[in-house]
Amino acid sequence: MILVPDVVSPVVVAIYSPAVFVGIIVALIGLFGISIEKNDLQVLILTDIVGVAMLIIVAAVGTDLAESLVLPGLVVELAEILAICEILMSREMRKTGKSVALIPTPLNFDMEVLQTAPVFIAVILVIYGAFLSGFTGGAIAGGGILFYVMSLTVRGVPSDLWEGIAGASGIAWCLWITGFLVLFVFPSYWLLGLMLAAFGVFIKVAFKAGLIGVMNREEFRKE
Amino acid sequence: MLEVYIWFYTGCTLVIVGSLATVIGPGVKDPLVRTLNTEIPAVGLSLIFLTYNSTIALLTFIAATSIITLILLRTIVRLEEMGAEL
Repeated sequence: MILVPDVVSPVVVAIYSPAVFVGIIVALIGLFGISIEKNDLQVLILTDIVGVAMLIIVAAVGTDLAESLVLPGLVVELAEILAICEILMSREMRKTGKSVALIPTPLNFDMEVLQTAPVFIAVILVIYGAFLSGFTGGAIAGGGILFYVMSLTVRGVPSDLWEGIAGASGIAWCLWITGFLVLFVFPSYWLLGLMLAAFGVFIKVAFKAGLIGVMNREEFRKE
Repeated sequence: MLEVYIWFYTGCTLVIVGSLATVIGPGVKDPLVRTLNTEIPAVGLSLIFLTYNSTIALLTFIAATSIITLILLRTIVRLEEMGAEL
């Protein structure tokens, strides 16, 4: 017997058991694949399948809790795959002594559209993101900032604003936590708490672009 | 409007068939084929998220999957250029 609160919609309750069942089947298929595979890269690709199974089981909860649990799961999976790919490649580089660049062709374009279009597109994306606020707005504004700075780098202009952006991101994170504290400690100021949290997470997610930039700087430097 | 369950069960079928195709499908000894096959369960999972109305999870999942595919493809190509055994 499963205890279900009344607020959960009957549709979600009806597909709960099939969803969990499918998740377990897919996980078993993925783990079987990993157990018979010897090559490290192939195993890494197969962990994707196990990740999908994990996401199905989390999604089966079917409430906002599921949505908030899916995000960290995805981010952790992404970070893990990035790290393991890096390890595999550096091991191979040490073994063979050869090194291969991240970007296949040298990036040095000199086109007129690269000087005019990025500013316009970045401004529109940042304004639209600020209008949306919250997580989605942050993602859109971050895309705009990243696009602008990338186009600067591609043109060969030095862009050294990453450290400052990373600092602002940390401050915005504190803002977000303060917003949550206000919601719990002073519930009568809920609007202030909501705004702090919304714009804190907006700035935080937008400036996550800085993280990608810090990684890219080392790669682009060696032309 | 079509029944909600259609999307859910289509998603489940795609996930199971896709994961089988990734593990024992034809030509999966080539890592490139295997990486492209993982897109099938990804589409199935997107349909399942869609059934549950998890918009932000769906958005993040699509973004993360495309980034993961990019990383994996570039890793495969770089390892092949270095002459590694795949």
